[in-house]
Amino acid sequence: MVVLGVHPSSARAANESCDRACLNGFVDQYLDAVVAHDPSRLPLAPKVKFTEDGQQLELGDGFWRTASDRGTYKFYMDDPVAGQVVFFGTMREAGTPVSLVLRLKIEKRKIAEIETIVVREGMNPSRPTDTGAESFEKLGGPDPLFLETIPPAERVSRDELARTANKYFSGMQQNDGKGDYSFFADDCSRIENGMQATRGTDTMASGSSQRNSSSYGALAGCKAQFQSGLLHFVTRIRDRRFVVLDTEHGVALAFIFFDHAAGNTRTFQTPDGKTVTAGPTTPWTWEMAEAFKVEKGQIRRIQAIFHRCPYGMNSGWSTWADAMSDKARW
Amino acid sequence: MRARFVIGCILGFLLFACAAVHPRRAIAAGEPCDRACLTGFVDQYLAAMVAHDPSHLPLAPNVKFTEDGVPLKIGDALWATATGLGTYKLYFAEPAAGAVGAFVLIQENGTPAILELRLKVVNRRITEIETLVARKETTNFLNTDNLTEPRPIFLETVPASDRPSRQEMVSMVSKYFDGIEQGNGDVVPFDPDCIRIENGVQTCPSSASSALGALSCGAQLNTKIFTYIQSVSPRRFPIVDDERGLVLAIVRFNHPGSQQTVEVPGHGKMTMGRYSQWPNSTEIAELFKIKNRKIKEISAVIITQPYKAPTGWE
Repeated sequence: MVVLGVHPSSARAANESCDRACLNGFVDQYLDAVVAHDPSRLPLAPKVKFTEDGQQLELGDGFWRTASDRGTYKFYMDDPVAGQVVFFGTMREAGTPVSLVLRLKIEKRKIAEIETIVVREGMNPSRPTDTGAESFEKLGGPDPLFLETIPPAERVSRDELARTANKYFSGMQQNDGKGDYSFFADDCSRIENGMQATRGTDTMASGSSQRNSSSYGALAGCKAQFQSGLLHFVTRIRDRRFVVLDTEHGVALAFIFFDHAAGNTRTFQTPDGKTVTAGPTTPWTWEMAEAFKVEKGQIRRIQAIFHRCPYGMNSGWSTWADAMSDKARW
Repeated sequence: MRARFVIGCILGFLLFACAAVHPRRAIAAGEPCDRACLTGFVDQYLAAMVAHDPSHLPLAPNVKFTEDGVPLKIGDALWATATGLGTYKLYFAEPAAGAVGAFVLIQENGTPAILELRLKVVNRRITEIETLVARKETTNFLNTDNLTEPRPIFLETVPASDRPSRQEMVSMVSKYFDGIEQGNGDVVPFDPDCIRIENGVQTCPSSASSALGALSCGAQLNTKIFTYIQSVSPRRFPIVDDERGLVLAIVRFNHPGSQQTVEVPGHGKMTMGRYSQWPNSTEIAELFKIKNRKIKEISAVIITQPYKAPTGWE
């Protein structure tokens, strides 16, 4: 038997807490087992639950059948307090690059919860061959800022961290450009499925082309995009589950759904008086995991992995009422 | 009853400028709801949906609504985006079960899509609303160009003396799904000239130039090219319209994504289609015309779903 470099279940006693190295070790162990199509080698809690793309499956089904290798992009986000870890990474599925979100909850050195999103070819009809994986691998790794520790004197509580990150969702939902967006740092930038979704920083956001744009994506920084009021078509950001609150690094991560009702909310007025029609023309939901780097009460970096899912879908981890609510939970 | 029905419509129209058919006013709540009554509910539903206004629908207190397998509030999803109806409306009903269904062409922000609608009506109230919407975003193939009128065979009445029982009709249709799972067309009671139209595209025999596509529905199954469909489960048969020889099945095809190639007798090794390349499911509302105890024609509304996504009604 090949002994893995990190083997959390045997390396330490079962009743010890699981620190960052331990949590990351579970991720590696899990992904190696997936590629080997062999869940039997995992230390599983008796009632372990597994979902892929919001659907509860038997362990061994879904991506377990088709995964062929690990990729090179690896971004671990740990919450030792909650015993949870979320991994953004790339994998190969029958040789094709795919992007993966993996959440593990560890209880007494056993895997109790497994939540995955696999972004595959064809799941995003507007970019049918783009899984985001190649873009992620070109980036090489997470933005180094995510990995920097916050000086102890500047660390905030878990509640404060979640509240700051949640302002992003509240500011985007039915965005009208009139909110207080001071929670964005001037150098805030966002990466979505490996692609840069902001075009610079808000310190660059000047000039007539910026002011006259009718597409938020053409705007420079995080704050400028929100101030434009052009994201109004994001009707509802719901089922906001903050599952990683890492106060040491100022990292918050939430699973969420972005609903676009695509009805009369498509036409709206921006703060500068323009009437704009934008957004999907059919009911559209993004299933998403989104990470935030928060420093001094402001969001500096955002990174998301997502794909389209049935409109209004549940994550498999919430009641229907919670799944439809835009209230944040942690 | 029909006279009262028409009067009800006229009154409803004058008083409320509502949809032309208004079953709740036409017939008292205690009376059985026959085919005309049931299809009237469909008309009323569609009119309300295009008007984005469910408030006048006769809904039961605990009515359940799903679109594409997801439970939603009535008024959400297609209710917000439907902008018009086409002429294509294919209705079917099982009055004894209070069940009625329809395949209709809709316009959604000006783009055509196909809606499959199933209603259950109890005491003149809608208790269940199940919908699938085949949009270009939710399926890999869709062609609405020819969807102007239902194909006449689906409207033909079967002579009363020649109607199989509900159980027999369901059994015949279930054998079709068995045949897909087994890669064996011989177990399916196909009429030799059976045709199947999926999302407006004829797929057996298909007009495509491929040798396999040109085969009959049964012969296509025998080639094993559908063995990437590991299972057809769950299967429901919510509407059996024995008067017209129709069965509505709502099923999920499960594609685990682990079969990349298949050995086709006489053709050699073939690479499977896109559906076989990763785990996914399709949810399908499939209408079967049974004639002379054979499957004569199949019409399906299909959407691609996450692997093993629930249909919302199991």
